[in-house]
Amino acid sequence: MNNEIVLLLESLIIGYEKGGHNIPVYLPVNASGRKGELIAVIGRNGIGKSTLLRSIAGLQKPLGGTVCINGKESREYSKTELAQNLGYVSTEVVKVNNMRVYDLVSLGRFPHTNWYGRMKQSDHDIVLNCLEMTGMTALADMLITEISDGERQKAMIARVLAQDAAVMVMDEPTAFLDITSRYEIVHLMHQLAVEKAGTIVFSTHDLNIALNQADKIWLMLDDDLKEGSPEDLMLEGSFDKLFSSPEVRFNTDDGSLTIKKEERGRLYVEGTGRLRHWTEKALSRAGFSITVEKTPRYIKTPPGKNGTWVLANGNSSREYNTIYDLLRELTA
Amino acid sequence: MDNTGKNIIIFTVLLVITSLLFLLDIFMGSVSLKITDVLKALFTTSEPEIEMIVLRFRLPKAITATVVGIALSISGLQMQTLFRNPMAGPYVLGISSGASLGVAFIILGFSADLSPENLRGMGNWSVIAAAWAGAAAVMVLMLWLSSKLKDILTVLVIGIMLAGGISAIVTIMQYFSHETMLKAYIVWTMGSLGNLTASQLNVMLLSVSAGIVISLLSVKSLNALLLGENYAATIGLNVGLSRLLILTGTSILAGSITAFCGPIGFIGIAVPHVTRLIFRSADHRILLPGIFLTGSSIMLLSDIVSQLPGSDNVLPVNSVTAMIGIPVVIWVVLRNRKYQGVL
Repeated sequence: MNNEIVLLLESLIIGYEKGGHNIPVYLPVNASGRKGELIAVIGRNGIGKSTLLRSIAGLQKPLGGTVCINGKESREYSKTELAQNLGYVSTEVVKVNNMRVYDLVSLGRFPHTNWYGRMKQSDHDIVLNCLEMTGMTALADMLITEISDGERQKAMIARVLAQDAAVMVMDEPTAFLDITSRYEIVHLMHQLAVEKAGTIVFSTHDLNIALNQADKIWLMLDDDLKEGSPEDLMLEGSFDKLFSSPEVRFNTDDGSLTIKKEERGRLYVEGTGRLRHWTEKALSRAGFSITVEKTPRYIKTPPGKNGTWVLANGNSSREYNTIYDLLRELTA
Repeated sequence: MDNTGKNIIIFTVLLVITSLLFLLDIFMGSVSLKITDVLKALFTTSEPEIEMIVLRFRLPKAITATVVGIALSISGLQMQTLFRNPMAGPYVLGISSGASLGVAFIILGFSADLSPENLRGMGNWSVIAAAWAGAAAVMVLMLWLSSKLKDILTVLVIGIMLAGGISAIVTIMQYFSHETMLKAYIVWTMGSLGNLTASQLNVMLLSVSAGIVISLLSVKSLNALLLGENYAATIGLNVGLSRLLILTGTSILAGSITAFCGPIGFIGIAVPHVTRLIFRSADHRILLPGIFLTGSSIMLLSDIVSQLPGSDNVLPVNSVTAMIGIPVVIWVVLRNRKYQGVL
């Protein structure tokens, strides 16, 4: 893999202008992206993720600092040159009647065609290739009003691919999609970053996806932008700062999120395997902490598929057919 | 994947229909002529009387109808794409209101100096000049505003508000004007295709050609603008410049037609939709050439209907275009509710 830095942000001040005054929305940003990297931008609502991405894409003038793409400041590019080096996809939905998926993807060739937008054979080949890579070949002749939201988002990604730019900026490309499509699209983006040796920067609220798929994370905290691999950020405890709310607890062991509940006491679970795992999970969801040593009151998981859960307390014990029934009793 | 073959067939069929309608438009009129006489007058020589009717009156009128159809439809297409609004048309910028204000000043404002006979119909340079001046004033104002405003929808709102304001002024002028002058003005607002002299037709052809050239230069930008201005900018479109170019082209097209033929309604809104339906495409590289044929066909058809075949009476062309255009507009509204897509 090439280690060249493709995207470099130096003291980039993002924000807007109002009544002659510059109003920054975030601290000056220093960050970078290399060839073949998938970068996730994470931060709370309103911290400026979209503004940052729009500023990189040139849709919003930075108040200061620089965006460098392939070693050249982005404002030194002409509009066409910039589009050849940088593509952008957002949550904005394009719904135009009578437009085929193929036509939509063809618009990605815009910065490469002549004044009339004439498509050469090579342009058509690139469009077909991008449809292929995104798995949209079969839908090429469908109208974009006839396909699903996930498919339309894939079509938008195929379009930005056809633009053939080294940097692709995607503002919440997976918002409004179901879990399967989300994973599909982020997986696709990861593949594309590697195959096309491009840099993809995307914002998301889905921490799980970011932790599992991104090569690098730009973590936008209130006092700093942390940059690094998900694991590095995890180990240095940066994610904890993301959740200022005392209600939400970030588990640095497996990257999962839990909501703090009122403490209901300690419980021991006796059993093995999947049954034990899910029983413990259910109990901690209900606010119990699971212990390793036996407690006076404890739970025995069923021995086999058709057994029952036993809640033992000293000499007495009661049986339950499902975890649901068990929890109802425990939390009553 | 490629629709070229299908499109060639559609173009051929449309070309035949347009040609037939063109001939039919020349053939129809208050004096009934034989088809052979019409063809003879057009292509060889014929009796002087027939030649005069055909070459001096009916041919210019058919040419005017063709040009009006093309110009208004192209402006409508451009406005619908630029504003991403299926209800936009050539007059959303307030151009026809500007023209009507100019005409109102001439007809209603100076009623003491001009006799109604001088102003009969549209074949009067002073009326044309006034309409042009009014349209141009609004056009310059809107272009200036659009270069200042970031959001294109604001331009649309201001255009509509401006049109409303100007109409109010014209209404006040109408209220205080003399009856005969009022009628002359009302007749102007009904639109007419048949009152242009040869030199006026030439001027109109020239300015419409300029507008068409600008539209052709905008084809690529229009396709990008289908994605909305944000995406258009990120694929390398100079949004401000192309917006200005498109508005200029539309203003020239709609402004010249209104100056020479009056404010002809509904063609500009309806024809782009018919064209998209026929070609099943949103690509302006196909729609723009296509609209030459659909626009002229529908305008020629309106003109034929307005002559009430078999009768001496002529209907105001604006009523006919409305009767043809309104069902199309209603159909678009109903259809959009189902698909929820723009355009």
